[in-house]
Amino acid sequence: MEYIDNMPSMDLMRSEKMTFVQLIIPAESAHRAVTYLGQLGLLQFRDLNAEKSPFQRTFVNQVKRCVEMSRKLRYFKDQMHKAGLLLPPLPASQPDIELEEIEIQLAEHEHELIEMNANSEKLRQSYNELLEFKMVLQKASGFLVSSSSHTTDREVELDENVYSNDNHADTASLLEQEMRSELSNQSGVRFISGIICTSKVLQFERILFRATRGNMLFNQAVADEEILDPSSNEMVEKIVFVVFFSGEQARTKILKICEAFGANCYPVPEDTTKRRQITQEVLSRLSELETTLDAGLLHRDKALTSIGYHLTKWINMVKTQKAVYDTLNMLNFDVTKKCLVGEGWCPIFAKTKIQEALQRATFDSSSQVGIIFHVMDAVESPPTYFRTNGFTNAFQEIVDAYGVAKYQEANPAVYTIVTFPFLFAVMFGDWGHGICLLLGALVLIARESKLSSQKLGSFMEMLFGGRYVLLLMSIFSIYCGLIYNEFFSVPFHIFGDSAYKCQDATCRYQFVPQVIFLNSLFGYLSILIVVKWCTGSQADLYHVMIYMFLSPFEALGENRLFWGQSVLQVVLLLLALIAVPWMLFPKPFILKRLHMERFQGRTYGILGTSEMMSIDDEPDSARERAEEFNFSEVFVHQMIHSIEFVLGAVSNTASYLRLWALSLAHSELSTVFYEKVLLLAWGYDNIIIRLVGLAVFAFATAFILLMMETLSAFLHALRLHWVEFQNKFYHGDGYKFNPFSFALLADDDD
Amino acid sequence: MGFVVTSLIFAVVGVIASFGAGICCNRGPSTNLLHLTLIITATVCCWTMWAIVYLAQLNPLIVPVLSEGE
Repeated sequence: MEYIDNMPSMDLMRSEKMTFVQLIIPAESAHRAVTYLGQLGLLQFRDLNAEKSPFQRTFVNQVKRCVEMSRKLRYFKDQMHKAGLLLPPLPASQPDIELEEIEIQLAEHEHELIEMNANSEKLRQSYNELLEFKMVLQKASGFLVSSSSHTTDREVELDENVYSNDNHADTASLLEQEMRSELSNQSGVRFISGIICTSKVLQFERILFRATRGNMLFNQAVADEEILDPSSNEMVEKIVFVVFFSGEQARTKILKICEAFGANCYPVPEDTTKRRQITQEVLSRLSELETTLDAGLLHRDKALTSIGYHLTKWINMVKTQKAVYDTLNMLNFDVTKKCLVGEGWCPIFAKTKIQEALQRATFDSSSQVGIIFHVMDAVESPPTYFRTNGFTNAFQEIVDAYGVAKYQEANPAVYTIVTFPFLFAVMFGDWGHGICLLLGALVLIARESKLSSQKLGSFMEMLFGGRYVLLLMSIFSIYCGLIYNEFFSVPFHIFGDSAYKCQDATCRYQFVPQVIFLNSLFGYLSILIVVKWCTGSQADLYHVMIYMFLSPFEALGENRLFWGQSVLQVVLLLLALIAVPWMLFPKPFILKRLHMERFQGRTYGILGTSEMMSIDDEPDSARERAEEFNFSEVFVHQMIHSIEFVLGAVSNTASYLRLWALSLAHSELSTVFYEKVLLLAWGYDNIIIRLVGLAVFAFATAFILLMMETLSAFLHALRLHWVEFQNKFYHGDGYKFNPFSFALLADDDD
Repeated sequence: MGFVVTSLIFAVVGVIASFGAGICCNRGPSTNLLHLTLIITATVCCWTMWAIVYLAQLNPLIVPVLSEGE
């Protein structure tokens, strides 16, 4: 007996022992202490200022500064992204910088960047305008030249030309010849030239036509190059147009319509020499602007690169500082306003480490007063903390997804490490597919160090996180596949118990009757099955079980499997019947008695000490909470629990049939693909058909069998664990230990 | 007979694996206990699987039947 007591405990089975502590930190070493605690990552602070809004807290200004800095950092990151620059990896050694320095530098850099961006915006705008002007000049000169080419060869002024409704430039030339002499010096035809997006040109033309009542001529030509549209940052095609019209009113109308459509109008001189002159000017200015723009871009890229060198470091620093200030906001100033008081949970094994860190903080901040760190009692239940490594972590997360274990509750993860892949394998059971899964898992594990530092997509991340689960799943699949190769059977999973320490009401008055009930009925059924296999009897087990309930005292006849069966059955039935009230009734009464005892002692304690201590000095957590023990509620709760268990015993047993169903489905699917695809294709002599068949078989195997079936078996194994396994004993209503740790801050914003 | 022998083989393999884990990955009493638990659970699961499949075939429920007149 002592041997069992002296056996080492398993850390993963029950959560780490936690203790509630109180810290009293002098103000000058507070920041440093919290920083060191964050690096250690083993203390979960409790928020003592939970009722206060974020703006009422002590360090709200610092938090605001940190938020402002992180906004600037995000802006830089954005800009670097847009410029197509990559962030260099974090240099190994990072000298410590002060937060104020960073703030100043960030402000400078932001100012610089914004200025540079504004300048280049303006430059780019002028560049665009000049480019458009150049295109308008090129194309418009085409219109104006062609219209005068049919006249005499001398240079012609076009003001005097009148055009009819006809929109063809060719026929207009005849009219032009006629009309020229008549309308020499009137406010005759003028033109507006400009450029507009291709998508709007049809509408534009139509509205111009309507507005001028047809008294206009519209010429258009596609511009040679595409232009960068500043608003959408894309290259758009533009069309150069020339509108010939007459009259002042038409002019105003046309100008307004141009504005509405976002068409830019540029004045094109009619004189060819002037045109040529202006074109030259525009071209030279364009090349100047180009060089200026390039130089500006280069300058900006240099600035961004120099920022980028420090960016990751700055981001980390700002993040940690903000976290430190958020944590400092959780602490309270004490009466003298010189110390900060904090409370939290920490695991017992971490106490010395925490004390070391606090001493270092006192020393480093050259404070005269040490930090007080002592243990306190807490009313509430401690958080649950399991120390997991890379292997056990995935399984613990599978269990935690259902519910985090209550403090010191038995952790199903210990068995889940084996039973989960095993149940998966029972449903997957094919050693060929198992080998494929094994190869995949081995690849993931072999490239562990490389993949863990990369940022993976969400699907790959899940796959990578579960690489050890995958490994075990594949190994068990190979084993089960080898077994199935012999024969297809109905595997019946027998629920295995383990020795819990029977110390409290839950154990003796809930667990034991549950076990008795379950085993006397379903355990008996399992035994009967094995006996039937061994003896080869023809007994019908359905009838055996049903008549055990309906007519337990009658003769068994042909349903007899072994000697003494009828007596045994009656005994088991009685046991099961007793177990039900046993699990239903005693526990509420016992809990009530325990509660009364606990509260009687406490009431006396409060009366005794109330005169000596003033309530203000007492920290919040030690204040008594008035706990009501509602007997009817507990009784109903227990009844629900018992009914759930009894009914669950039946339904859960039937639920294990899914093991059979899925394994059958898997084997049938693979049979179908093998016979109907591969063998069929192989039957032909044609090599093409064989290749196609092989390809189809490979795709079907990879996507349907390996991916879909894996997910399906995974899901059902998960359900079997969460429902059938865990609802028999697992409460899972704890909360996870969430220490203040810089390592856990990691990738929140991205 | 074959049933007992193979079951013994399973047991022996389980015991050897437990000792092997104790020798090779000796990392503190708690971790050793965890490894032992895992190995025992795995052995029990695998043995149960095999045993059920084996026993179910010992006295088959469906036997080939000679049809009359052969």
